[in-house]
Amino acid sequence: MSGAIAVLGAGGFVGARLLEMSVLAGRTDIVPIVRAFRSVARVANLGMSHRLGDASQPESLERALAGCEVVVNLTTGDPADILRTTQNIYHAAVASGARLLIHLSSATVYGQVEQPGLADDAPPQLDHWMPYAREKGLAENFLRDRMAEGQITIVVLRPGLIWGPRSPWVIRPAVELVGGSAYLVGDGGGICNLIYVDNLIRSIDAVVAHPQPVSGFYNVADDETTTWREYYAALATGLGVDAATVHTVPADRYRTGLGGLAEELKKLPPYQWLKYRLSPETKSAIKLRLRLAFGRDRPAQTDGNASPDVTRDMWHLQTTRCPLPTSKFRATFGHRNPSSFASGLAASLAWLRFTGFDQNNLQDNHGRRGAP
Amino acid sequence: MTLQLMAVGCGTVFDQYYKCALKKLESRGIVRVVALVDPNPGRIAAIAKDFPSARAFTTPADAYALTTPDLTIIASPPNWHAEHAIAAFDAGSHVLCEKPMAASIDDAERMVAAARSARRVLAVGMTRRMYPCLAEARALLASGALGDDLSFVYREGGVYGWPVSTDFPFRRATAGGGVLIDKGTHVLDFLAALLGRPTAATYADDGYTDGVETNCQIGVEFPRASGTVQLSWSQPLVNGFHIAGSAGELTLHPWRLDAVRLRQNGGAWETRVSAATWPSDLRMGGKRGTPWTYEECVYYQIVQSLRAVVHGEQVPVTGEDGLAIVHAIDACYRQAKPLRLAWLSEAEQARADSHHWSRRQ
Repeated sequence: MSGAIAVLGAGGFVGARLLEMSVLAGRTDIVPIVRAFRSVARVANLGMSHRLGDASQPESLERALAGCEVVVNLTTGDPADILRTTQNIYHAAVASGARLLIHLSSATVYGQVEQPGLADDAPPQLDHWMPYAREKGLAENFLRDRMAEGQITIVVLRPGLIWGPRSPWVIRPAVELVGGSAYLVGDGGGICNLIYVDNLIRSIDAVVAHPQPVSGFYNVADDETTTWREYYAALATGLGVDAATVHTVPADRYRTGLGGLAEELKKLPPYQWLKYRLSPETKSAIKLRLRLAFGRDRPAQTDGNASPDVTRDMWHLQTTRCPLPTSKFRATFGHRNPSSFASGLAASLAWLRFTGFDQNNLQDNHGRRGAP
Repeated sequence: MTLQLMAVGCGTVFDQYYKCALKKLESRGIVRVVALVDPNPGRIAAIAKDFPSARAFTTPADAYALTTPDLTIIASPPNWHAEHAIAAFDAGSHVLCEKPMAASIDDAERMVAAARSARRVLAVGMTRRMYPCLAEARALLASGALGDDLSFVYREGGVYGWPVSTDFPFRRATAGGGVLIDKGTHVLDFLAALLGRPTAATYADDGYTDGVETNCQIGVEFPRASGTVQLSWSQPLVNGFHIAGSAGELTLHPWRLDAVRLRQNGGAWETRVSAATWPSDLRMGGKRGTPWTYEECVYYQIVQSLRAVVHGEQVPVTGEDGLAIVHAIDACYRQAKPLRLAWLSEAEQARADSHHWSRRQ
């Protein structure tokens, strides 16, 4: 298939929307590549032909990428695997003769954006407390070295928080707003570096469509600069929640709370070991017994008075000082974001309603897996 | 008495659910697994080490030539269910068939007819019938606790995570459909157990050209209630069942197999824990238990099927019950219309509508 665009991580949140947008635009040049057949289910309505390719197994990737001109890496997963899978994808892309590799990194490699004039190719912060950010940074450095070798054009895109329908950056605030546990750090004036999922996909399209893309690092973000206070206020209004119910937590330093402790616990090796070995039913039975033991077998609080669970990642994100500069990407690729904050918000709220989200109804079950 | 049991289809469903229950039944001397049938020798080898008495076969015919099990569990792909069930009845075995019962009405009718003709039990594996919360909800509805004018919403959706070994379930040619057949079979049967025989009044889904539906909405009517079912393989829906009437409302939560939440006449919500129990073995007046997990429900479902074989007791879901659900699903597909997806642009929705799979029929 000459000129085809391979999408690795096609079963994920961004990948699924990319496939949906492409098919509904009449495109036939996209080749979805998934690690396991179950990932096909998410986009089974589109009736596309998938290829199997595991980013942890280079030989399977090479077969999957055969004949593809462009490789888009949207894979996610365990932070410990990010560097290795990035290396494998790079080598497979070169071996298959692709001309362009688009790698989705993250603005978290900077830690927080602390300076207004941050260069797009600023080095990642490799001592970041968050393993995901560190590993993304290591993957970037690997690709930075490969760019110098010039075997393939490598475009690294650094989005901030990818939001929109199906995004955890919509679900989490919505659940917390309705449950009364939403919080802002300080006055909520920190910059929420958002990129609407459709804008990100159009950015990828712009790179693919460019006649001679130049290897490098490019920040991508929405046009508007949005503070966390503005983001939460807009969501709250759309959900019919009084923004005055949003809690305020101190901005001077992060204080570990129950939510933070739970997050830390989930990162420990024994938790990870168990997570992947227990069946979903056994996990749900354990959770149920714990809920009953602690008297928490009731639906989430809906009176707007729940306590905030402050987590380290959210506290740090909310203390970001500056917007992500995106002028390099715009200048290089001549790109304009098609979606505004207002249209993205409208679609996100419509999607929440589609899922059954309603401040009076069962919101504690959002995304919770039922039995098979 | 130890009953002899055979399994046809040793894939993921058998491995994840039946294996554990059957090992427990063997350890209690209730059954002996005598034959495992699967065209893939690797899959049998992985299962066989847990069942030392079982012989391996690649076809049911080879197995039935050498053994006549009391019960055959059919966990093969749905389009093989009719052939495998009829072969079991011809060999004199009773059948517990995994859901969905069949890939077509014709197949399901042939299965029911074959069971009748052979005077054998045909049980359909709708494991949720063993949920204690279902028994509690049934009792409350039967008592009139919710009053009249019952209406409901049942949502079940999340990102698909079942570890399938092929893309067979995602092709219309091989699976017949998508999330409606997968989750809808369970949900419609669950509702049928509560409310009677379902009639699909409206149906919309997101199947595009050759794709199968990953999202669908059904308007369903029952003798005593009407409502909406929403299913998804791709969207994290707000899962649960909510039914309301003139005197009260009731909810079932996906993580709570043992209880319902009830509110009457605008009062406070209360949790009602079910006292329902199921037989744990084949003895009359023997031990009974309450399932906490889906796997435990599978165990009790097999016991019920075995008790039907031994004592002539009723199975949780008969072939006729399963056939009714196959009919309801068929009625959905026959009236399929494009589903409005809230996040699409107008242009995208227009293309999705114009390329809806139903337009190719």
